[in-house]
Amino acid sequence: MTKRHPRSGALIAVSGALFLSLSSLVATPAFADGAREIQVAGRTLTFLDGGPTGKVVFAIVYDSSKPASVAEKDQIMAALGSGMAAGGATVVGKPVDAGAIGSAGDVGAFYMTRGVNYAAAGAAAKAKKTLSISSDMACVKSGACVMGVAATPKVEIVVNSAAAAAIGAKFKAAFKMMIKEI
Amino acid sequence: MHKFKSLLSAALAALPFVAGAAGAQSIDYGSLESLFGEAVTTSATGSPQRSTEVPVDMTIISADDIKRSGAHDLPTLLGRVPGIDVLNWSTYGADVGVRGYNQPMSPRLLVLVNGRQVYLDHYGYTAWSTIPVQLSEIRQIEVVKGPNAALFGFNAVSGVVNIITYNPRYDSVSNGSVSVASRNGKEASIVQSIRLSPKFAARVSGGISKADEWADSVGLPAVQYRAEPSRANINIDAVASLTEKTELRFESSLSNVQVNDAVSNYDPAASKYITGSVKADLTSDTKLGLITATAYRNTMRSTSNVAGMVSLRNTISVVSVQDLIKVGPHTFRFGLESRNNEMATAPMTGGEVSYTVLAPSAMWNWAVSDTVSTAIAVRSDNLSLKRTGTFPAGFPLASNSNWDRDISELSFNAGAVWRLSDKDTVRLMTARGVQAPTLIELGGFQLAVPQPGFTLVVMGNPFIEPSIVKNTEVSYDRTFGKVKAGIKLFSQTTDGVKGQPGAAALFQMPTLTTYPAISWTNVAASEMTGFELSASGTFGAGFHWNGDYTATDIKDTADAGQNLVDLRANFADMTPKSRGNLNIGWAGGKWTVDAFVHHTDKFKSFAPLTYALTTVPAHTTLAANVNYDLGHAMTLSLSGKNLGNAKVQTAGLKVPSTVYLSLSKRW
Repeated sequence: MTKRHPRSGALIAVSGALFLSLSSLVATPAFADGAREIQVAGRTLTFLDGGPTGKVVFAIVYDSSKPASVAEKDQIMAALGSGMAAGGATVVGKPVDAGAIGSAGDVGAFYMTRGVNYAAAGAAAKAKKTLSISSDMACVKSGACVMGVAATPKVEIVVNSAAAAAIGAKFKAAFKMMIKEI
Repeated sequence: MHKFKSLLSAALAALPFVAGAAGAQSIDYGSLESLFGEAVTTSATGSPQRSTEVPVDMTIISADDIKRSGAHDLPTLLGRVPGIDVLNWSTYGADVGVRGYNQPMSPRLLVLVNGRQVYLDHYGYTAWSTIPVQLSEIRQIEVVKGPNAALFGFNAVSGVVNIITYNPRYDSVSNGSVSVASRNGKEASIVQSIRLSPKFAARVSGGISKADEWADSVGLPAVQYRAEPSRANINIDAVASLTEKTELRFESSLSNVQVNDAVSNYDPAASKYITGSVKADLTSDTKLGLITATAYRNTMRSTSNVAGMVSLRNTISVVSVQDLIKVGPHTFRFGLESRNNEMATAPMTGGEVSYTVLAPSAMWNWAVSDTVSTAIAVRSDNLSLKRTGTFPAGFPLASNSNWDRDISELSFNAGAVWRLSDKDTVRLMTARGVQAPTLIELGGFQLAVPQPGFTLVVMGNPFIEPSIVKNTEVSYDRTFGKVKAGIKLFSQTTDGVKGQPGAAALFQMPTLTTYPAISWTNVAASEMTGFELSASGTFGAGFHWNGDYTATDIKDTADAGQNLVDLRANFADMTPKSRGNLNIGWAGGKWTVDAFVHHTDKFKSFAPLTYALTTVPAHTTLAANVNYDLGHAMTLSLSGKNLGNAKVQTAGLKVPSTVYLSLSKRW
């Protein structure tokens, strides 16, 4: 009954060769897009266990001595406008100088702009048991931030499991299966 | 049956334990799609994945695609997917094949609605008009090309069509539409979402349609031609939050369809189907992972003219449990499925043929790095066949012990995805799928046909083997600015190809006490190779386009003494060597305009009644749709399909043009 199918073997060989021959190519790096990244950050709230609903304040943490940080803060505030819908929540922004996180008040999350001393800002967020997010992946890799987000060229989300556990943040299973946990 | 009931009891007993655990809910496709900016699917590995990262060959038809398609039925939508062949038999009768091997009552495609199989299991085919779904309640249609039996089991050998409807828990979708069409066609559908409390939501839908059948261009006997086919479907889909994060989803449906089919020997048949289903899914996140327990039952009653009216009844019951767990970069899925499938013998009654299947399965998906991921899945199907009851006089093999048989087969899928850059993706896929014999082939059908001087028996074959389909594929996709392009190379083999009963090859020789018999048997091996080219893009203000071309080359190798033409298994002839699509569309202001061109190369088919091998010429069809937004959430649509002069698309009825005028409203 069983027949030989020589063409299948040939395709496997060609496929393998093609796959290997492309190995010299490398991935291109991502670039920042504050407006889209804050959208991604806001939408992740939907997948937070016991996530917030209604009006949620994101503290947009910036370093006033660094023009890039200030520019990102301005870009994000413009994108949020009077409120950005994210599932059952509406995210509004509140600019907070990195040096004044302690007096940020009751916020739903800290969003660290690039250039902020994330070690200090992250520690402050952790002390408040509050979610910390950044487009700077170094922040999440270091454990200072709970979550890192990138929007371009495609959406990437990285969660630091230890940092999440430290503030008691838990994400829904389907979400966790589609992101990178470190 | 006893084993099945035991498993059902065990699964139900486990539900309160699962429900009591804390954790996550079912998959919120809409929110995940919004978050990641692309469609999300579970049809590749069972785990939610982005559509661009799945380790299978998948095309997703979105809700927006459906709105702009002008399509009023599923085969029309599917026929625009690269590599898909559609045989249009009648107003509501069609068969869909993936990369060839299409035939009447095509048995190689697995079709599901939210994971529930909706193909008709007694013979492995899909009567598309019985699928109890309104197009306006579909979130997306996931089309997997190539075997995916390691996830879904039998029949998923040429491909899988998984229809995902909106989830009432997350999606509030309410709409209605009315249409008039050529040949006195009339359609109406309604979809109503209901949220009774924060913890309970439901969606109820229904649709009816009727039309005069295409003109009888063949000269069919009256019993094989239904002049006024019609269909009616209703469905309910309800979700209850049992705990804060655990949900129970309940779905039930009923369809009543009168249609003109083509049966597997290419005879036209006026058929009536009444299908029903009940399904419950319980999903919960535990410390052991995301656990889903599913139980459903499909029932089918049909009457078809196959050498006289044949009444068939089939019931299939499925219970499954699945655990999906992620550990670091590794996602695992462990599953166990039990199914019981039974039918009474027909048209000569007295017996019942049934089987149970126990199928453990596992999947491992490894995100090797940010750019490379692999997945491997295996499933073992263990089928126990049984027959009870009596045999008609003169039938050979007249002992139920001939049906005491076990079949065990392993399916696997393995794939690797390499995102070389944000513009390039390479996929490598290989798979082995199992096309199990159907109940009809195993003995559900039994008929004595008087011939001059003797009687010929048409009966099932308890010894028939599964067909084994192996597929290997490599694909490369690249984005060039506003243009996406892809190339796929594939090779597929099928061992144990099944042939139809043919009088030239007796299954059982006559004896002094038994008649000669013909049956379904394994008759050949077949090999298919091919490639697919596709591209899509946008230009100007509001324009989009996509095009594809798929070439296939099939070689059949008949087993000794088998005549594949007589057995309707000469797939090299029956499959067009190429098919392609071109779609161009525009959206602006209150208007959307789309045009769809489809080309099919010539192929051979069998003429109804005479079974003469006939060449169906190459043909190009045109379809178009115009939507106009009337405001107040109302849309007026004018659409047409099979426009132009390509009327000969099979050896059966000529396919006329059909024009629809529709009014729809959302609320």
